[in-house]
Amino acid sequence: MLALKITRWLLGYVRFSVVGGSPERFFSYSARAGAYFWNIAGRPQSGACVAARGYRGSARKAGCRLRVREKRGLPFFLYGMRGHRGIFAGAAAFAVILYLLSLHVWCVQVEGNVSVPEEQILSELSSAGLSPGAWKKDVNPGALAQSVMLKFPQIRWMSINTLGCTAQAVVQEKTAKPDIVDEKGVCNIKAASTGQVLEMKVYEGTPVVAEGDAVVKGQLLVSAVVEDQLGKSALRHARAEILAETQHAVSVSVEREQLRYEPTGKVVVRRNADLYGVRIPLSLAVKPHGSYRLSREKIDLRLFGNILPAGLYTERWEEVRPVHFILTKDQALQKAKQEAGQKIGEFLGDGKIVSSKSSETWTDNSLTLAEQLVCEENIAEESEIFTE
Amino acid sequence: MRKGGRSLRNLGRPAGLEDIIPFHLELNGNREAVVEGCCGVLEYDDGVVRVKTRRQVIRFTGRGLVIRCLTADALVVAGYITGIEFMV
Repeated sequence: MLALKITRWLLGYVRFSVVGGSPERFFSYSARAGAYFWNIAGRPQSGACVAARGYRGSARKAGCRLRVREKRGLPFFLYGMRGHRGIFAGAAAFAVILYLLSLHVWCVQVEGNVSVPEEQILSELSSAGLSPGAWKKDVNPGALAQSVMLKFPQIRWMSINTLGCTAQAVVQEKTAKPDIVDEKGVCNIKAASTGQVLEMKVYEGTPVVAEGDAVVKGQLLVSAVVEDQLGKSALRHARAEILAETQHAVSVSVEREQLRYEPTGKVVVRRNADLYGVRIPLSLAVKPHGSYRLSREKIDLRLFGNILPAGLYTERWEEVRPVHFILTKDQALQKAKQEAGQKIGEFLGDGKIVSSKSSETWTDNSLTLAEQLVCEENIAEESEIFTE
Repeated sequence: MRKGGRSLRNLGRPAGLEDIIPFHLELNGNREAVVEGCCGVLEYDDGVVRVKTRRQVIRFTGRGLVIRCLTADALVVAGYITGIEFMV
C-alpha cells in the first residue's frame, strides 16, 4: 500500500469534483479512454482521484464540468518550485556535495581488539593511509591489514571492510602460547641462592644434596647424570623443586624532602569541533605556556551506533606549581615500607616470608630502612650442559 | 476471445467460454465486490451501484457503497452490500 502511495505521489494526481451532467458516464468514458480512478465519490458530491494526465477529454462528452480540488505529487511540487531557482541550485549542489563526500572514508572503527589499544591501531592505520577523509579508492584493504599486522605481532588476523563511508577494521588477536619446556637438552639443577634445604621434590636426575643440608648459591643440587641398575650412566634433563630457607637483606632509602605539583586553580579549556577531519576552534583560548598538566577528551557523535565524522575535542590545561614539602616520620616510614615491599616482591616471586626484622636509620633529611628477611622459596635453577 | 490474446479472467478455461461467462465477479464477504469485464458505470450513489457488462447489468444495493477504483474493464465496489441483481 505504501509503494502504491509513493508511486501515485511520484506520478502526481488530482482530486477533483464532477459538477453537473452525468458523473457515471464521465467515469465510464474516462475509464474506457485509459484513465485510472480511485477514491471515487458518488452523488451528490461526485469526485475522484486520477493520475495527473488524460481525464479532461471525457468531461464535455458526459456534459459535466470538472473542478480541481487538490493537486498533489512530485510534478506539481516541482511546478510550484519553478520560480525558485535557488532551491534547484541548492538541491543540485547538495547532490554534488553528497556524491563527493561519499567518495571518502569518514569513520574508522576497530572491532575485536582486547590487548592492543584501539588508539594504537587507529594511529597505525592513519599512518598507513586510512584515516577520516581518505579517498575510498585509495584504500587497499589487503595492504593495510598486512601493514598493521606487521606492526602488531599479537594480531593474528585482520580484515578491513568498507561499508559506505565507514571503514571497519576487524581484528583477531593471538592466543598466548605457553612456555615450552625444553626437555631434550641436558641440564643440572643448581641453587639460585644460599640457604638450607627444607624439602626436595626430584622429578628427574640424581640428587646430590639432602634435606637439611646447607647450600650456597650456584651449588649443584640435582645432577643430570643418572646411573641405572647395571651401572651405566646417562645424561638427563634434571627437574626438581627444592624448597629452602633463605635469608635476604633489603635496604631502602627515602628522602624526607619531597617535590610534588599542585594545581593553582587556573584552568584553560580549549574546545574544538572536529568536522570531517578538520578541527574548528570553538574558543578563543590559546595554548598556554608554563607548567601545565594537559588532559584531552574526544567525544564522537554517533547515530544508530555508527560514529559520525563530527565530534567535540576538548583540551583541559591545568596550571600546576612545584611544591616542596617534608614528609613526617610516619609518612616516610610508610613510603619506605611500600618501596621495600615492592623490592621484595620482585625477587621473592612465589616464595613466602617466614620472619622479618627491620631497622631504621634516621638522618636529618632521610630514612634508611633495612629489612632482614628469612624466606622459604624454590631455589632450583636449571643450568644447561652443552654436550656434543 | 479478445483480440490479441485471452483476458486474464479466462485463463485456464476452454476457448469460447468467454462468450458464455461474460464477466467475472468476486465477492469478499458482503464488504467488497470485484467486477472484471465491466463496460461502464450506469448509476452510482451510496445506496446503489449499477454496472454494465457485455450482456448484463449488475446492480449492487447496500449502505455506504463506494467505487474504490475504476479502470477500463474492472472496478471494485466496497461498502455494506445487501443485494446483487443481474438484469439481462
